[in-house]
Amino acid sequence: MAEAGVKKGILKGILKFTAILGAGFIILAVLKNMLAAPSEDGYRFFPLIGSRDWIWIVAQLHLNFAAFVLGVPIFAVAMEFMGWRKNDDRLDRIAYDFTKLFTLAYSVTAVMGSIFLVSLPLLYPKFIDYMMKILGPTWWLYLIVMYGEVFVCYLYFYSWNKLRDEKWQRTATDTGAFLSGVNWQKRMSRKGLHIALGVLLNILGATLLLITSSWVGFMTTPAGVNADGELVSRWAAIHTHMWLPLSIHRFVANIVFGAGIAAAYAAFRFITAKTDEERAYFDWMGYTSAIISIGASLLLPGVGYLLGVEIYSFNEQMGIQLMGGFFAWLWVMQSIMIGAILFFINYYLWISLQKMPGGERYYKYVKFIFISLVIGYVVWLIPHDVALSLEEARRTGTYHPALGKLGVMAAKNTAVILSYLATFLSFAIFRMSNKEATVSWAAKGNKARMLIIVGSVVGVLAIGIYSYYVSAAVRVKVLSPIQFGIFFFALVALYVLDSFMYKGARIIGEPRWGKMPERSQYALIAITVTFTWLMGMLGYMRAGARQYWHVYGIMKNTSPDAYLPTHGYASIIVTIVTLLFLLLISFVFWSIMKLEQVLGERKGS
Amino acid sequence: MKKGVLKLAIIVIGLNLIFLYIGLEFLPQSESRPPKVIKIEEGISPDDLIHVGEEIVFGKGQCMVCHPAKPETGMRAPAMSDIGAAIEKEARERGMTAEEYVFEALVNPSKYIVKGFEDSMSRVDKSPTSLTDGEIIAVAAYLQSHGGKVTLSYPGSVPILKDQIAKSGGK
Repeated sequence: MAEAGVKKGILKGILKFTAILGAGFIILAVLKNMLAAPSEDGYRFFPLIGSRDWIWIVAQLHLNFAAFVLGVPIFAVAMEFMGWRKNDDRLDRIAYDFTKLFTLAYSVTAVMGSIFLVSLPLLYPKFIDYMMKILGPTWWLYLIVMYGEVFVCYLYFYSWNKLRDEKWQRTATDTGAFLSGVNWQKRMSRKGLHIALGVLLNILGATLLLITSSWVGFMTTPAGVNADGELVSRWAAIHTHMWLPLSIHRFVANIVFGAGIAAAYAAFRFITAKTDEERAYFDWMGYTSAIISIGASLLLPGVGYLLGVEIYSFNEQMGIQLMGGFFAWLWVMQSIMIGAILFFINYYLWISLQKMPGGERYYKYVKFIFISLVIGYVVWLIPHDVALSLEEARRTGTYHPALGKLGVMAAKNTAVILSYLATFLSFAIFRMSNKEATVSWAAKGNKARMLIIVGSVVGVLAIGIYSYYVSAAVRVKVLSPIQFGIFFFALVALYVLDSFMYKGARIIGEPRWGKMPERSQYALIAITVTFTWLMGMLGYMRAGARQYWHVYGIMKNTSPDAYLPTHGYASIIVTIVTLLFLLLISFVFWSIMKLEQVLGERKGS
Repeated sequence: MKKGVLKLAIIVIGLNLIFLYIGLEFLPQSESRPPKVIKIEEGISPDDLIHVGEEIVFGKGQCMVCHPAKPETGMRAPAMSDIGAAIEKEARERGMTAEEYVFEALVNPSKYIVKGFEDSMSRVDKSPTSLTDGEIIAVAAYLQSHGGKVTLSYPGSVPILKDQIAKSGGK
């Protein structure tokens, strides 16, 4: 993907995409005729690793790339918008770098999508026929929207320089004319148009997300069909219990994941940078991406909770099995990983204090945040251990006699919220560490800060304890949302208070971007690796909630793979997916570096 | 630069291996297989029927994910320990036999909700639980055995069960 004219670039992109998709359809048609007919109950078997594992790996890889290419444009266009409003070229550059990343990743996403497109109807023809019968029109809509997405994506990328050239020319040649108003209007309209393209790209991306979530939603929480699986209402089959909460969850998770990958890219570039200037830029890019990722992840427990509520309201058994039955220990695994991510980001922020003049004033608080994180981590790790067998239930009762009390959601919600609150404090400290408030009410402001922090911690803890003494319905529908409410109130209150308190503050010194030990960048890489593994595992759990059903309660999986494997086996597959994904994404990183090198050489010559 | 990239690769692979090791060595390793239909012989003794019911309650019926063994604060569904006595009491209050009541609770659970609980149970004769007539009777006998009198038998109680299924609008 070299820099090209807008038309040429779009044409190249569309042709490439059509070639990948077309190849998929042709291979599908050829293999359908070449391969033996499926078994009586509608299955073909993939050699060596079996159909389930093959689909598992391909689907998760496609999903990871899709999450990346749908997530990054959201904050790329937000950065571009901020750069435009603040007249900040650095923000425009980071937005362009994000755009380079997802535009290049589109090709890999399309290749993975095509492999998936070929594999699924060949290996599971009966299931796909059924899905097409119920949701077929959405598949064709998906193809149309995808073409729109590809078109706008390449248009957005290739028109970037065209739609900002004028500003550069203008600012370089005639500052007076730039401020006079006429050119300002013109500049606004061109950049504004480009940002509008970015918004359109995100609208199309969100539409794709809604369509694909409707498929998963129907498989897991089916509606719109009768007991025999015959279609009654297509809209009801789309608008299932899971549809919107899953879409919202994926939307937020895509931002978290996409920004995580962007942070890893920046860390990779920081480590391989040859000049201080490059190091400073990629240090800043890594920080910005990591904060977007972790900032968006603050929403995940809340939107995950919404998804959980919908699963429970669809089928209580499914909800409980998912949260505390066979998967109980995978939630512990999730806790290990999210806890690790919180430790990595806190570690990164604590190291970052070194580059902030005045940051040393806050070192003393680090140990308290660390202790809070450790306590939260321990509670979070305790499993909601429902007895898995009759013998175990006879021996221990339904829940573990000693740890059961800390394994339930009352304790976990409290621990998670307090851990996130501690992480937000690390961020708030970092943000303010090179400033000194000069407002007359600074002392009172500090007291108010302390009051918000202590008040929210006490409030969350008190509700957590009270949750043990109420019915499940009150706990789930009333108290947990209040806990999240307190958390978000504390976040907003602290943010607003700090914004006023540090307005016109004395700057002790500008951040020394690039002056970071290399180990800080490994923390960013570690966040991304952990996120990727976590995505793979949660993807498996979401699919596993259906147990031995293709469509829960409607279409049984009668293949030899109709069972949930051991957690160890699932870990092997998730590790393979993670390593393959990281290998492919490093190829994307390498391609960008190569592209920049080629363009640099061309400019030089 | 090369040293940095090498360290990076070590971190990526190392973290993956750590997660894999936890998955393989620290998590319990069992598979979850689809439940099989339990064959119940006609004329099965009450004790054997209760035993089969217990297996289903703790196995394919997945009843214990909501119903605790003993009463607990904040429980989602009535506890098992005295459920047989509760069935007889509620049945009397509603002017039904215990058999009718327990079958209604299993195949038409939304019809009557015990005070203090929510309408959250799905019927056991339909997907995804899909218990057979014999299995439902075994579960009902197991429930009766907790503080109540076991009056159900297989296939003797099938007509009462069929009647409740018909009343629920099912086949």
